[in-house]
Amino acid sequence: MSNTAFLVGGILPYLAVVVFLVGVGYRLRVWWRVPQPAPMTLYPTKGSSFASLAKEALFFPSLYRGDKTMWLLSWSFHATLALAFLGHLRVVTGLLDRGMGSVGVGAPGIETLSAIAGGAAGIVLGVTVVTLLLRRIFVARVREISKAPDFLALLLLLAVLTCGNLMRFGGTHFDLAQTRTWAASLLAFSPVVPASPAFLLHLFFAELLLLYVAFSKLMHFGGLFFTFSLIKGSQP
Amino acid sequence: MSDQETVLKGVNAIKGGPRALRLYMDVCAKCGTCAEVCPVYYGKQDPKYNPANRSDLIRSLYKRHNTLAGKIFGGLSGAKDFDQAEFEEWQDIFYSCTTCRRCAQFCPVGIDNSVITRKGRTILDGLGRTPARLQKVVKTALDTHNTDGASADAFNAAIAFIEEEMREEHGVDIKIPVDVVGAEYFYLPPSGDALVNIEATMGVAKVFHVLGMGDKWTMSSKCFDGANYGLFTGNDAHMKATNKACVDEAKRLGVKVLLMGECGHAHRVMKRMMESSKWWGDLPFQVINCMEWTAEQIRAGKLQFDKSKNPESVTYHDPCNFAKSCNIIEAPRVILRAACTEVREMTPHGAENWCCGGGGGLAAMNEILEFRMTVSGVKKHEQIKATGAEYVATACANCKRQLAQLMEHHKEDIAVGGVHDMLSRAILVDGKAANRKCYD
Repeated sequence: MSNTAFLVGGILPYLAVVVFLVGVGYRLRVWWRVPQPAPMTLYPTKGSSFASLAKEALFFPSLYRGDKTMWLLSWSFHATLALAFLGHLRVVTGLLDRGMGSVGVGAPGIETLSAIAGGAAGIVLGVTVVTLLLRRIFVARVREISKAPDFLALLLLLAVLTCGNLMRFGGTHFDLAQTRTWAASLLAFSPVVPASPAFLLHLFFAELLLLYVAFSKLMHFGGLFFTFSLIKGSQP
Repeated sequence: MSDQETVLKGVNAIKGGPRALRLYMDVCAKCGTCAEVCPVYYGKQDPKYNPANRSDLIRSLYKRHNTLAGKIFGGLSGAKDFDQAEFEEWQDIFYSCTTCRRCAQFCPVGIDNSVITRKGRTILDGLGRTPARLQKVVKTALDTHNTDGASADAFNAAIAFIEEEMREEHGVDIKIPVDVVGAEYFYLPPSGDALVNIEATMGVAKVFHVLGMGDKWTMSSKCFDGANYGLFTGNDAHMKATNKACVDEAKRLGVKVLLMGECGHAHRVMKRMMESSKWWGDLPFQVINCMEWTAEQIRAGKLQFDKSKNPESVTYHDPCNFAKSCNIIEAPRVILRAACTEVREMTPHGAENWCCGGGGGLAAMNEILEFRMTVSGVKKHEQIKATGAEYVATACANCKRQLAQLMEHHKEDIAVGGVHDMLSRAILVDGKAANRKCYD
């Protein structure tokens, strides 16, 4: 196990997760504590503010009404990202496998499903992130508001998913058993790191992304609950 | 203090709130949706009119001094140092946003750029950089309690004139009570509706008369303007001082209802800010709008109309402050449908309607007339034209001014007026509609 591999697979995972959790927690806490002296309801408001909040977070209806093309792009990107995240849970837990097993899907079935869903997710993410990037470069109203961090976020994502896709579609397919061993060793605080360069690179970019979240606009995933509760908040 | 110190002090204060502003510094994803739905950017695709760029004037300074990334990585994090040359453009840029809040209706992360615009204007105001015209309006309002600088005598003369007009129209006395302590309703229009565009006030007076409530309401010769330009200049002290004069007058008159007139921002400040946030504690009266009140009477079948008095096709422009911030969308339509032969809708209409292009105090600024006609008002002109309507009704003095200028600029033969104006022309008083002379 090289020093670099150990850094990426045995040290950075802890650092990234801690910085992510503490950083995000801190940001949320600050937003929670900063006072809002006046209500600022924006009409129309429909139903309870909790329902509108959930709807905004899950389906982006405001964006849908405002820009259908951007909605399609943005929603498929975020939904697929969530799907990919769920798929990655297989690395650390057998829960999904057992769940599938209990409804009669055997190990080969799960593998086929994983290959199809995971493969499709990888492709959709690739296409959407590249399109978002091209949009940032070629659409004037987006280009003129784009700065370094806006490209950085997309490039980091692109790096993560390109390495991920390489492990699925490239020469060295990822090894689920080995990855699970690695995850279990991390949880036991005695890391055993796989040597696959594609895996390590994928992991490295993912760690950079995690480290970056709390310091960047990527915090919009947590912020929108606050912003929408301000404008969707009901007022007599 | 130098400009730099004052600006940074104002920007850094965002750290302590309000929560909305603090969030808006952090969560913009730079997706460009605000530009897509902004009336100003629609009119001209200039980077300085892109809402995200306008907001970034403040956001980048905030990042530089208040975020870890900004302190360490500077420009790479999207942060920027104060730049005097750039600051010289602030007035132009923050007064090219109509604060209509349309961006907030479509922003996928819920950012209301008008809040950032107002913050920019607050900072400008602290440095005496509010556009001269608006400074003058605020000063006039603080000195005289109305934005026109009219005296009580001038107001009383205008009221006498309105009563005379109504006598001519209907052959009966329709009173406008003034300074009546103990009345139930205190009608507070924008001053223009009492002094210049008098038909809206005529309409309200006729409604009270028909209901047999001619002695239940009053206006005030000391306080006849709900307009509040402190909202536009970002000066909270001015906004509250202007507001307090009206609230104190309502208390002095001992009314049960403060009946706000056809003025969007006046109603918003009174209802959504003063009343909601309890600026002056619990109130002995409630705040409602005259359009809500009249619509209620129409729904109850208490008012009758001769629609043939309004034969032209009418479309309604939703003032942003009424529709987006106060949810008053249906009431004006109830009135217009009752009083007019044909009411057409714009696309879109209601809360998602486009701004007239003169919101946020811009309509009062003659020095940016060219901008209002050829940039911020472009979409509205297209929308109105597409309806084919011959009359645009709206419920806001600023919208009216902007729209009238817009129609003139584009040589459209389309009249602009108020909602109660149309009611006034068609409502039956003692079974007869007005025998009207032409005001247009």
